[in-house]
Amino acid sequence: MANSALAVLETALRERKLDRTLTTALPPLERSDPAAFIPFDLAAMDAVLRGGLPRGQVSELAGPHSSGRTTLLLQLLGAATRGGEIAALVDTCDHLDVASASAAGIDLERLLWIRGEAGPIDRLVDRALKALNLVLQAGGFGVVVLDLADVPPRVLKSLPFTTWLRVQRIVEGSDTACLLVGPEPLARSAGGLTVMCTGQTTWNVDAPVRARRFTGLETEVRVVSPRRRVDGGARIAAVANDSQ
Amino acid sequence: MFGALYAAEGTDPAMLGSVAREFSPRIEVCGPREITLDLSGLERLFGEARMIAHELRRTAADRGLRVRVAIAGTRSAARLFVHDRAGITVIDSGTEAEMLASLPLSLLSNVSNVSNDPNESNESNELLFTLRRWGLRTLGEFAALPSDEVAARLGTAGVEWQRLARGEDPRPLVPALPEERFEQTLELDWPIEGLEPLSFVLGRLMEPLSAHLERRDRGAAVLHVRLHLVTRTVHERSLQLPAPMRDARALRTLALLDLESHPPDAAIDRVTVAVDPTPGRVVQFSLLTRPLPSPEQLSTLTARLAALMGEGRCGSPELVDSWRPGAFAMKPFAPRDSNVLHTHQPRPSTMLGASRAQVEGRRHEGTETKKIGFLRDSVSPWPVAVNAAASPTVALRRFRTPIPVRVHAEDGRPIRVWMDPPSPGGLRWTSRRGLSGGRIEIAAGPWRTSGSWWESQAWNRDEWDVALTDGVTYRLFRDRTDAHGVKASLSAVARRAKAEWFIEGIVD
Repeated sequence: MANSALAVLETALRERKLDRTLTTALPPLERSDPAAFIPFDLAAMDAVLRGGLPRGQVSELAGPHSSGRTTLLLQLLGAATRGGEIAALVDTCDHLDVASASAAGIDLERLLWIRGEAGPIDRLVDRALKALNLVLQAGGFGVVVLDLADVPPRVLKSLPFTTWLRVQRIVEGSDTACLLVGPEPLARSAGGLTVMCTGQTTWNVDAPVRARRFTGLETEVRVVSPRRRVDGGARIAAVANDSQ
Repeated sequence: MFGALYAAEGTDPAMLGSVAREFSPRIEVCGPREITLDLSGLERLFGEARMIAHELRRTAADRGLRVRVAIAGTRSAARLFVHDRAGITVIDSGTEAEMLASLPLSLLSNVSNVSNDPNESNESNELLFTLRRWGLRTLGEFAALPSDEVAARLGTAGVEWQRLARGEDPRPLVPALPEERFEQTLELDWPIEGLEPLSFVLGRLMEPLSAHLERRDRGAAVLHVRLHLVTRTVHERSLQLPAPMRDARALRTLALLDLESHPPDAAIDRVTVAVDPTPGRVVQFSLLTRPLPSPEQLSTLTARLAALMGEGRCGSPELVDSWRPGAFAMKPFAPRDSNVLHTHQPRPSTMLGASRAQVEGRRHEGTETKKIGFLRDSVSPWPVAVNAAASPTVALRRFRTPIPVRVHAEDGRPIRVWMDPPSPGGLRWTSRRGLSGGRIEIAAGPWRTSGSWWESQAWNRDEWDVALTDGVTYRLFRDRTDAHGVKASLSAVARRAKAEWFIEGIVD
């Protein structure tokens, strides 16, 4: 009885193309094709992600402040735009530093930057989600990023989980890699990757106090996948850019 | 049978053209005041040639134009007579050369294609001067010369002039096509209000307009929407399109999105849509690069985003030539097509913050793997970009409006940061984005910057990089703006708070 009900459910899901996100019988991803992912152009990161972020999936980059999320995000956008893709950044709180973006090697002409306006945070998030949907529905972008890194967790928790299912439905089957950046994992997509970041800034502490300088940021990334297809960690050292 | 119209000084060329088109569809514009017409077949409508000439002159007079009219068997003869004689001149077909014989030679420079612009070329004047030196004064004298001798001495220009002098046409009439208007208008039986009913009307107008553009292989460069309102006013919007487009749905969506932002203030009783046409796009796709979205898709997307987020809130960022912290500009998102596939260019900007050893390392990496592509290394079975960077550059999350904070400093160095507002009630929590204060573990600075002191947007400050005990690294600055307490570079909120220390961003 239970088996037949399960079979009916799986058939219904398969008909509606939901089998990939909701069932456990997932076909293996063909990750050996370079065109199936967007690389970060960081050897350690790409190795642990087995090539980069998968296209047609919602992935996540989560961590607290100063954990290196933005550094990795800009690195990804830089790699995508240098590779001839166009990218979109939905900047919910309008916190992109253009000098940092340029330093990360982003081809700024190929970046669509959607900036949130000052206002109540709930409204900002609502508009950002609408903008994300518009960009994903338009298609043609290699990477689309929703930056929720500075949104308080209480606001993120108040979002219905179906929000992310809808995003997943839009993006699946397309060539777009969707990335959410936030303080903690939000979508937990089965097909995408969830990367947890922790970071520590580095200083030349041996120098005299007057000559002390911020030298970089060491980020430890850990890939958390609900299906454990990809698991592991890497340490990435970013260097400070004095021109910022 | 051909006719020539020559209008008085100051005549509107369009008006002259419309008079000519009432008589013949085959007209050729010979100048701002001169038009030639093919009048063949008009005898059955108006009678003999003189009647046609009278009718032409009368029609022009009805429009307020004073014109000379000449009718002859050839265009050249008609043009020469219309330049020579006022009023109406009618020459029987076959007698052109005979009738032209007495006309002065100088008329040739008026009707010839040889340039007679004194600033550009003096060829026409030189030719005329040569003929006068030969003792020629009339067209008949010139026409009587042997053609081969004229060609030997004066070249092709001389031969052309001689044919004109004999009343022969150097080429057939090239009819001017009437200027096509790409415009659609719909008078509404009942006034409509709101954008929803208007979208149906616009859709109905855009379809034939789009079909017309497609037939002529044209695209719309500018889209004009004119809404005649019940208040007897006209609400007009013009959209500059990023690329020539003629897709009816895209044009309708763009017009609607623009009208959403700039709605009419009364009901509409007539809708007119017009476009400025431009040659259509020729698109060559590449097999080797990922195609970009079409300009129609991109402009529709950016228009939707602008309607959602506000004007100027979406586009491409652009660095500006300024030392002002966080300076940037926005420009419309218009990515150029790239022929580069997975060719990761060297990143000059990342070299700025890298050490010499790292730069050298990258150079070595570049020389070692010139081939573009992916490899499987011994560490991972998965493909890894061969030109992957060793170290990225640390990014800053910049607060567009710096956040005022309280800082306890000893010997000028910050020791502790409090995130609570300096003036209670002056700031809301939302401006703090959940930032935490605390004891400063490491601080580096100050880095003093200032600029634009000659403008109202001056800045003068000491920057610090500080790491708190909870691991968060901020960029702080102490504002040193002038002694009058005018912190012009900061927001009104910050000025109200009378803060001295601010958080500019978070290292992330």
